[in-house]
Amino acid sequence: MTTTTVPALADERATESQWAVETHGLTKRFGNNVAVNSVELLVPRGCAFGYLGPNGAGKTTLIRVLLGLTHADAGTMSLLGYSVPRHRAAALARVGAIVDEPRFHGHLTGRQNLQILAAAREPAARQRIGPSLERVGILHRADDRVSKYSMGMRQRLGVAACLLGDPQLLILDEPMNGLDPAGMHEMRDMILSLVAEGRTVVLSSHLLDEVERTCDAVAIVDRGQIIRQGPISELLAGAALALQVECTEPERARALLDATNIGALIQVGEAGLGISLPVGTARDAIAEINRILVEGGISVYRLQQIQASLESWFLSVTSRLGAEE
Amino acid sequence: MTTLTDVPAPVPVPAASPSPDHRGSWIPTGPMIRTRIMELRKRRGLMITMALVMIGIPTVFLGIRLLLHGVDPKTYGPAGGYDIYTAFVSGVLYVFGFILAATLGVTAGSSDLTDGMFRHLVVTGRSRLALYLARIPAGLAIIIPVVAAGFTIVCAVCVFAAPTRVEFNGLRVPANLSRAGLENWAAGHPSEVICDGPNVQIGPNDAGIGTTIQNFPCNNGPNPGGGPTITKQGPGPQAQPQPVSHAQAVQAARFIAGENYGDYTRHFLYPSYSLMIKSGLWLELEVLIGFVVGLGLGSLLGQRTVAVILLIVLEIVLTPILSRAKIAHLINLQRAVVGLATAHLAPGGLPVLGGGGGGPGGGGGNPGLVPESTTVAVCVIVAWLVGWSVIGAWRMMTRDT
Repeated sequence: MTTTTVPALADERATESQWAVETHGLTKRFGNNVAVNSVELLVPRGCAFGYLGPNGAGKTTLIRVLLGLTHADAGTMSLLGYSVPRHRAAALARVGAIVDEPRFHGHLTGRQNLQILAAAREPAARQRIGPSLERVGILHRADDRVSKYSMGMRQRLGVAACLLGDPQLLILDEPMNGLDPAGMHEMRDMILSLVAEGRTVVLSSHLLDEVERTCDAVAIVDRGQIIRQGPISELLAGAALALQVECTEPERARALLDATNIGALIQVGEAGLGISLPVGTARDAIAEINRILVEGGISVYRLQQIQASLESWFLSVTSRLGAEE
Repeated sequence: MTTLTDVPAPVPVPAASPSPDHRGSWIPTGPMIRTRIMELRKRRGLMITMALVMIGIPTVFLGIRLLLHGVDPKTYGPAGGYDIYTAFVSGVLYVFGFILAATLGVTAGSSDLTDGMFRHLVVTGRSRLALYLARIPAGLAIIIPVVAAGFTIVCAVCVFAAPTRVEFNGLRVPANLSRAGLENWAAGHPSEVICDGPNVQIGPNDAGIGTTIQNFPCNNGPNPGGGPTITKQGPGPQAQPQPVSHAQAVQAARFIAGENYGDYTRHFLYPSYSLMIKSGLWLELEVLIGFVVGLGLGSLLGQRTVAVILLIVLEIVLTPILSRAKIAHLINLQRAVVGLATAHLAPGGLPVLGGGGGGPGGGGGNPGLVPESTTVAVCVIVAWLVGWSVIGAWRMMTRDT
């Protein structure tokens, strides 16, 4: 009989590895379509990590490859330090995941569905059914048939299924789908609490606002390739610098600034001037703009740096790439 | 590509919590089998259908026969008996047992895929082979008791409500008599036994019995043509017609009964215990085959409707045709049909494959079937069981989800 007793060496590596997910050159093709293209992904342990991309970018395919739901055509990967698929069973014992829309046996209750999943895990998982249901807030509906659940409740049940294995790594594919605003808020809090417990949460989503509120780091994927990854603060620091200027004579102010070599994109609006500076522009440029306006006889009432959002940064990155191609 | 230059500081990770288990093992655990049984058992529509067909039909049909016989025994025959038994076992339970077992197997093989649970199960890290194999004992734990329950009802009614008199060479004789009992009954009914009774062979030492039988007044005269055919084997001239005394008639009737006791015991009033045991095991074999083939096909196709239709066509259309049509060039292909192999293993006395008579030789002795040895039949059945299990397990292990 084969067992999943993990070799000591693999255990050591698993403990030592600082990466919850690590892939190198990971590739998955469907015929001529390359769904995952040489992905180099590093997800640090103990954080909420957003995996962002437009629809059809290859987010779910990468997750399926990581979880062994489909095989990779090339590359290497590891989960929690365990090389997969070699130590797949040992790795997945510490992983909980929702892939795509969570679906269950509709003729069974939520609790019975979890009993089936717990039976496939270690014996202790059966003791976690009640607490998991309670944690996701559907304990009162646990004995109703899943066919009567709303989409949001099935999402919660999916998260409860993830928690059965007391996972160190949770991979959640679009967990906010079908949730109302209150449900999204609860889900966000739950993810943050899981991270606070030291677990790693990989959140695949196209809801940039939610990812920005929840995650510490992100990777942007487009057409199967990761085009940026890193901590959100660092990525946004590299985003275009935006200023809002409230002043007299906005049209003349615009003409003054256009005459300089700052390279700013300037729009005149009701609130004044909207100025967008190129990526990498030093903060001294802000003072320079102020000096030019004042020396030109423009009264400046307010000059405010606008914090770039993940959404605007994401759109600028992906649209620029689209333009380059 | 930008690489991570400043990742958040790693946070202490919870200790590896999973207790040691055998998650990669291909052997399913008890809880996996139990929860799989629960999943199938909770399919109310399927369970109700199975109960209705395998238990409900025999119960209702035999119950009505019992009732009618109880109300008017002269018009309506006994509810049980050998003929009812063979009709139910080789008709209803055999055919519907296979179809229902196949439907259950297909459901077990495809429900995780169609309901979207397969991904959840794979993500647990549990061996896919173990996930597949857990379905076999689970499904059998449901279908075998259901078939056994229906079969038990049939057996009980056929034994306890069997006819009390047997039709024996034109005589209606009480059932289950000993040799002495039969002789005593014959002594009480000499006229019926001598005039309407079975053939009897007269040896040289029983010439007096022969004379009695020949002279016995059947239909207001001697008995030259009616009644037992007397084969005289003794020497000497034919005796002249003599008046027959009652004592002589009783003696002759006893003689006829004694001589035919062996034949009498071979008339089935109700199935023998050995036949019931054999046909019960044979039915469960059929159910096992239906379930395993259905499981494999359901896992292969990943959906239920087409798989069930294919198996119904196999059971009630293709198998009867291929079992009886003698196509010289396809004879080995015909022998590879599992339904034919199962029919060859049918216990003696059961008609199989839509009737045609089984006879004491069972399916193997059925001249209507394509000839096949028992060894070949066993090999075909084993090949179907192993082959479909391998196909189903392979598809389960290689399926992208």
